[in-house]
Amino acid sequence: MKGNGVTGNANPLRRVGALFDGARDWWEHAKVWQRYLVYLGAIVFALILPAPVIGEFMSPGSDWTTVLIYPIGTYILLAIGLNVVVGQAGLLDLGFVAFFAIGGYSVAYFGTQYGWNYWATVVFGILLAAVSGVILGAPTLRLRGDYLAIVTLGFGEIVRITANNTDEIGGARGITNVPHPTDMPSIGVEFGVLPAPYYYLMLIAIVLVIIFSVRLQKSRVGRAWAAIREDEDAAELMGVPTFKFKLLAFAIGAMIGGLAGGIYAGKAVFIEPNTFPFILSATILAAVVLGGSGNLPGVMLGAFVIAWLPERFREVDWLKDALGKDPAEYRILLFGGVLVLMMALRPEGLLPSRRRKAELHEGTGGMGTMGAEVAGPDTDVSTTEAAK
Amino acid sequence: MLLEIKDIHVHYGKIAAIKGISLQVEDGEIVSLIGANGAGKTTTLKTISGLRPLTSGQVLFNGADISKMPGHKRVIAGIGQSPEGRGVFPGMTVQENLLMGAYTRKDALDADLAEVYELFPRLAERKNQFGGTMSGGEQQMIAIGRALMTKPKVLLLDEPSMGLAPMLIAQIFEIIKEINKRGTTVLLVEQNAQQALKLSHRAYVLETGRVVKSAPGPELLDDPQVRAAYLGGH
Repeated sequence: MKGNGVTGNANPLRRVGALFDGARDWWEHAKVWQRYLVYLGAIVFALILPAPVIGEFMSPGSDWTTVLIYPIGTYILLAIGLNVVVGQAGLLDLGFVAFFAIGGYSVAYFGTQYGWNYWATVVFGILLAAVSGVILGAPTLRLRGDYLAIVTLGFGEIVRITANNTDEIGGARGITNVPHPTDMPSIGVEFGVLPAPYYYLMLIAIVLVIIFSVRLQKSRVGRAWAAIREDEDAAELMGVPTFKFKLLAFAIGAMIGGLAGGIYAGKAVFIEPNTFPFILSATILAAVVLGGSGNLPGVMLGAFVIAWLPERFREVDWLKDALGKDPAEYRILLFGGVLVLMMALRPEGLLPSRRRKAELHEGTGGMGTMGAEVAGPDTDVSTTEAAK
Repeated sequence: MLLEIKDIHVHYGKIAAIKGISLQVEDGEIVSLIGANGAGKTTTLKTISGLRPLTSGQVLFNGADISKMPGHKRVIAGIGQSPEGRGVFPGMTVQENLLMGAYTRKDALDADLAEVYELFPRLAERKNQFGGTMSGGEQQMIAIGRALMTKPKVLLLDEPSMGLAPMLIAQIFEIIKEINKRGTTVLLVEQNAQQALKLSHRAYVLETGRVVKSAPGPELLDDPQVRAAYLGGH
């Protein structure tokens, strides 16, 4: 009775899903003070998160605070950035890691070669990422969907391969002795070997980026992005300069990616081209889609799950017994299995926004269910006319 | 002359979809384009609203050449379109859809919003429902209402009757007439030639990218060739 087995497994997950949906509905109707209470709770939670008590369960094998910085914090920051591009403007970007690399290399290169202040290199890295986002976007954003995805995928690889072949920035050997962030003795913060200060730096960056992202989403810009995502032609017909806004989404996403790269490099001491492989772009995209593209809490949850699960699988005792080997060797497979299961049971993502759900269920590009049933061969004039 | 297109050619890749169409729309008219699939009706509208670039020819609006103007600026100039397949934003509510129509406007919207709700009472009942969950006819109302919110001088309607029940079609055409009566010029693309011709002051018949006939609407209704080809030959 395979079928029964599957539904049996699905039930508890369905219930978890219903819990998520319930939380979202409550949030939508929550009063302002209730919301601020939740924000406050989230910040307090984030502040005490590195506590060893939590770490014991979350990451028994490796240092929890370090895991919180990379991969978890970094993935969350990257996912928020990619969410601007994919979740808000609806542009499929498969080369997001390029901006992460540009941020990281700016910090490493200008810090080691020119001795720039760390914060200056981070800001410069963000600007450089934004400029490269515009350079990538200007010729390619006229493409749509799959074509854009392929071009961005190529861009990610170009950046990595260029870094690999440019001796000025260390070539394949990368850059070592990347400077740490400047110490701030006035408030007693020292960026040394201990991971805690980097964690709080990452936390501040994430909070700032969340505020920035939410403000954007609620602005005219956010409305324009939503319109472009849902129907680009219709958006243009409403007077939205679609090309400009797509370019802006690319630039802002790139800036957040560059910021993540700068913070990462400040902690990592050493970066090389292979720190920025294509699979990282794919992983971040998986985080965004898994969490619920377009919904910030969902995207962060997705990034957390994607970053944390493979690490955690290393330490599961019964898996060790069942496999007869170190589960670390199987963790990517297990991780893939979990992803497949989740997408089968919750295709809109773990925590989708209600609006996103409506978009996905519609799924016919602006045609309602009735329209879709009766649409004739004339529906896509560009193909029918091209066929003539 | 409010809108005039002069000998436009439009290509999809190497294939010519429009091979030299010229037409005029006077202020206050209802003009319709009729023709079979692939005649170039939708492409003509998209070229006017700026969604398709043209290979050669001219689009004149209020006497000014707008051939090179991007689509989003043509909206501000006064060209509103309800696109093919309606193009309703599925994740926005009815009201948000209508407000998207006023995206470029900075003046007061209440009166216009009230007017759209008056024209389409159905939409007023469902203000807070997602566009994507509305029926085909209701989505058509959203699309037309949204285009009206741009305060167009000329309203381009692409197959407003497509996929609708006969009762609803009659209703939509009544509303188009009313919109025109209140002062908006209408350029209508329709496969439903009978209804469109009854309503139109003038009409153009398109065939494979060319205008083959143009005359006042009622005249075309009696034209033997048009009757045979588009009106079921009765």
